[in-house]
Amino acid sequence: MSWVTTDAPTRAELDACVTCGLCLPHCPTFRLTGDETASPRGRLTAMAAVAEGLAPLDATFEEIMGFCLQCRACEAACPSLVPFGRAMEGARAELTAQRPSRVRTVRHWVLGRALAMRRVVAVATFAVAIAQRLRLDRVGAGPLARLRGLRRLPIPPRPTVGRRFPTAASRRGTAALLAGCVMDPWFSDVHTATVGVLTRAGYDVVVPSAQTCCGALAAHDGAAAAAKALAARNVAAFAASDLVVVDAAGCSAHMKEYGAWADEGAAVAARVRDVTELTAELVAAGALPSIPGDGERVAVQDPCHLRHAQRITAAPRALVRAAGYTPVEIDPAAMCCGAAGVYTVLRPDTSRELGVRKAAQVRDAGVEVVVSANPGCEMQLRGLLGASHRVLHPVELYWHALEQEKERS
Amino acid sequence: MSFLDALHAVVGRERVRSQPLELLLFAKDAGVRAGTAAAVVFPETPEETAACVRVAREWGVPVIPRGAGTGLAGGAVPEEPGLVVVMTRMNRIHSVDVAGRTAWVGPGVINLDLSVELGRHGLHYAPDPSSQSACTIGGNVGTNAGGPHCLAEGTTVAHILAVELVTADAEIHILGGEAPDPPGLDLRGVVVGSEGTLGLVTRILVKLTQNPPHVRTLLIAFADVAAAAKTVSDVIAAGIVPAALEMMDREMVRAVENFVHAGFPTEAAAVLLAEVTGFEDGVVAEAGTIARIADAAGANEVRVASEGAERDEWWRGRKSAFGAVAQAAPDYYLHDTVVPRTKLVDVLTDVYEIGGRYGLTMLNVFHAGDGNLHPLVAFDAREPGMLDKVEEAAKEMVRVSVEAGGSLSGEHGVGSEKRDLMPLVFDPVDLDAQARLRDAFDPDGLFNPGKVLPSGSRCADFDYVAAGAVP
Amino acid sequence: MTGTADRALAPYLETIPDPLPEGLPAVGHVVAPRSVDEAAAILAIASRHGLSVLVWGGGTHQGYGHPVRSDVVLLTTEMRRVVEWLPDDLTVLVDAGVPVAELTRMLDERSQTPVLPEHPGDATVGGVVAAGISGWGRLRYGPVRDRVLQVVIVTGDGRVVTGGGRVVKNVTGYDLPRLATGSLGSLGVIATVCLKLWPRPSFAASIAVSDPVEALAKAYRPLAVLETDAGSWVYLTGTEAEVVAQARALGGAAEEGLGWPDPLDDPGVVVVRVPPRLTPEAVRRVRSIDGGVRFRAAHGVGEVRVGLVSGDGGPVAVLRRWAESHEGSVVLERAADGWTLDPWGAPPGSVDLQAKVKAAFDPAGVVNPGRLPGGI
Repeated sequence: MSWVTTDAPTRAELDACVTCGLCLPHCPTFRLTGDETASPRGRLTAMAAVAEGLAPLDATFEEIMGFCLQCRACEAACPSLVPFGRAMEGARAELTAQRPSRVRTVRHWVLGRALAMRRVVAVATFAVAIAQRLRLDRVGAGPLARLRGLRRLPIPPRPTVGRRFPTAASRRGTAALLAGCVMDPWFSDVHTATVGVLTRAGYDVVVPSAQTCCGALAAHDGAAAAAKALAARNVAAFAASDLVVVDAAGCSAHMKEYGAWADEGAAVAARVRDVTELTAELVAAGALPSIPGDGERVAVQDPCHLRHAQRITAAPRALVRAAGYTPVEIDPAAMCCGAAGVYTVLRPDTSRELGVRKAAQVRDAGVEVVVSANPGCEMQLRGLLGASHRVLHPVELYWHALEQEKERS
Repeated sequence: MSFLDALHAVVGRERVRSQPLELLLFAKDAGVRAGTAAAVVFPETPEETAACVRVAREWGVPVIPRGAGTGLAGGAVPEEPGLVVVMTRMNRIHSVDVAGRTAWVGPGVINLDLSVELGRHGLHYAPDPSSQSACTIGGNVGTNAGGPHCLAEGTTVAHILAVELVTADAEIHILGGEAPDPPGLDLRGVVVGSEGTLGLVTRILVKLTQNPPHVRTLLIAFADVAAAAKTVSDVIAAGIVPAALEMMDREMVRAVENFVHAGFPTEAAAVLLAEVTGFEDGVVAEAGTIARIADAAGANEVRVASEGAERDEWWRGRKSAFGAVAQAAPDYYLHDTVVPRTKLVDVLTDVYEIGGRYGLTMLNVFHAGDGNLHPLVAFDAREPGMLDKVEEAAKEMVRVSVEAGGSLSGEHGVGSEKRDLMPLVFDPVDLDAQARLRDAFDPDGLFNPGKVLPSGSRCADFDYVAAGAVP
Repeated sequence: MTGTADRALAPYLETIPDPLPEGLPAVGHVVAPRSVDEAAAILAIASRHGLSVLVWGGGTHQGYGHPVRSDVVLLTTEMRRVVEWLPDDLTVLVDAGVPVAELTRMLDERSQTPVLPEHPGDATVGGVVAAGISGWGRLRYGPVRDRVLQVVIVTGDGRVVTGGGRVVKNVTGYDLPRLATGSLGSLGVIATVCLKLWPRPSFAASIAVSDPVEALAKAYRPLAVLETDAGSWVYLTGTEAEVVAQARALGGAAEEGLGWPDPLDDPGVVVVRVPPRLTPEAVRRVRSIDGGVRFRAAHGVGEVRVGLVSGDGGPVAVLRRWAESHEGSVVLERAADGWTLDPWGAPPGSVDLQAKVKAAFDPAGVVNPGRLPGGI
């Protein structure tokens, strides 16, 4: 038996790999282990073996696939242009179909359903906010310690979904914002900054209420059916939007691939922009100002799904410069910080090993501020860096500079 | 106690792989042929490596060393079910002597990592195989790896001062040394390029090279391949040995451009990358001479890379060429012959003729300055009869190269892939001598059996009586 | 020597040169094969009859290693064809007996160089390769073994073995050319050699400097940085503009051309070899030898040639103890008659492995027996 679903890695995807091995050094798990079974080439070979019926889809296969962070650094390094991320999502969908387990079922309910239920997220958010007030996240190293990476959650929450933010400037167009599953309650400051910057640039910002979670976490984990359902809802919600702006890199990367997840998905996907690239373009075009500053050094952390999946590297640096700061490189190898969505929960040791490495790079850079365009990375960094460093989205850094500039003038 | 138990006792359970699917992933390298791994082990010290060798010898299991698995000749492929000893975890740079320009490194250190690490001292490790971002120094030692910049700097062996070798009796030897010309036979020189057949290399003393004060990289486009090849011969004949002199034909340029988007001229029939290094005046003069020679040979365009990013992109393109072939077809087969530079035009013409006659998709990318050809056939192995056809054509290409005075391999190694072609360049006495040399290190054939030498190389009958010896 | 062996060797005794080269030891027979086949026949006879053979080229480096007690001296000087020179390919194929000076002169006509020793005397190409002797230019071009592309070795038991190939880059089979280089004839007779050539740069200059260590650190890929009892110089080659610019950067008085120091003509010479960074310390130790000595130090290489005026082993032993404590060596290059100096010092740790490798080529142990460290 090989594959059983239509989501499985296709022959063309697997054939694209000529096993040259150039991906190996770019893979964080290969770097940690030196082990072919923990490498992109090894994972593709394992998929091909199952596809050709040379090996069973067994626990070993599950472990080989499960160890992958899905950072897609291999994809950016691949001269054969193998769509590794897609193939891995397919392999995980096969695991879901062929190796059912209670743990996975529960996890998929959380990623595919609960995250899309605003009431569930709101209740959880409230509980976390209370825990923060009681400083429970400061105690010990238990599960609550993971919350250390979170921003302080506002009580009451300030949701954006369903709202409309008209521009006061000369009108450039309408931008539809993805509110996101946890972005809205947990990272509302990022939305504030995004809305502020876009309205300043002349966009009316709308946040369609029919939208839902983008489905990235479900897709990465092999919850293909749930991911498709979520994608379909969003495709409908954003069908009329000329421009879909996303301020979480993991979500923008996934929505740009909606063509593979929903009927008519490609049309929406083509209109999705990550807020960093859009804002950097607006600055470059003169629609937004460059703010003079004292050139304080700010470290740029590249979220994998911004840098590798979307190949966006210049934009966050351009935003840092436009905000009057000097961008500082911390990791030329652009390794994953270990957050990697739910990976941080599923494989805490590996996640932490990579996170500690990234945090050390930030400390070595001698900066006080780090920007990261993805919520997972942000939490990982804040959790490991502690109070000594400020971690925020590059668009926030720019927005704060805009606001200060306004106060000054 | 089983073989696996014995390995577990040496390195612990977590550094042994033995599940069938896991073993499958160690069955091949970056080449086309697969073998069978019986177990995989990841030692972290020379002593652990020696202990693994001892276990393998006791159980009569062959030992196959492996680095990053980027080899193209099957050097890391277990020809018979064997213990694959992966050296990637021995990846420490043990020491760097900046004044003496040497470093002791573990075999698992990645080639490019070493140069990046040395950058702050103004030094680098010169051999730069195309896979340098992934391949290990230990693997480079195994194959005596080359690379574009070996034209002026020599291949790996010229940059290895000493190796620490675990031999078949599980002893640890240091061969060579930091001081020049150590007394006695140069066993270091024999181990480099021995493709893991003489022992396992566990530490390496490398020579480091000064970073050049100036670099100038030229990209030269031609309307026909012969004019590009003629330029190569003419440059060498003019007394210039550039730091690198590389060639790609149109198909290759297009595949590479799809990946790097470096603005390569995709309409040109052939593109030369030429690089000169040194003091500014010399660099400018040599680059000028090369441009003039190219003009005279009929070049369409000569571009000079801007410092830094553009040059890096050009080289990234060149070095990802093999991988980029996958865009043309799912499989590729390439050779690594070297011909006298003066025969480049003739041999290239023949190579294209052979490809055309067999109706194969040919791409060419190679170290033109060295005469080191990589004629490459892109194909789909699932087409019935295709692999046979490709291998037949490849054999013809090798024959053409050898007849022009060339050799089988310039940098990839013989491995299993070219093993049976060895009689094209060596007679039975030569091969027997090589087999005897191997036996001196490894009399029982423990290490990487089936590599380098065709079976039957060791002829007991060569109790040699030369012509005229009998009175 | 038995009568049978005499008869077997008889056909090869007619070609010996007259007069014989100076310094040949008094032995039963001197033979001078004119071809690879003749050399093979002679060694097969030697192996069969257990005759030990001393291989002799120009005789310039016979002082290396333990003395060889030999029954036969095999002269390579009658094998002296330049077989093929491909100037446009930068390779040359020569018989072992071709004198280095003659080859260098010939290649100079096309502005090419084999980068062999600058003062070869009567040395032959085969001899220089067998002894592993590099020129001063090794700092820039690497040691002589980096230039040997192909060798034909006639093994101790008379097999004709070709290793390597006649192209500039080759990894086909084990690297016999490097194994043969510096083997001091212990594997067999090196019969032909293919060398990689370099274009001779159009301009050269030497610059007197006061601090060779600083000069080595500052210079970009000089040809050599030498220090002798008479001073220190940096040697540069390249285009004129390049050399002049670099000379200016080094801040010394440049003199056009390569004014190499004269070779040492003391009755004895030892070569101190240490990790390159220890060259200054080696020089300091050599300078402090009682009574003063002449020396030639190659900075960046780690080699100091030291002239000896007496057979007193004391200073050599002191230097050797120090060098060996840093994984270096002190090797005797030549000694006057009657001196009893240890030629090698401590044998390398791999001596057993080396013995097995020699036996693979010379199973009867007849060519240059005992010459290598450890008496191999």
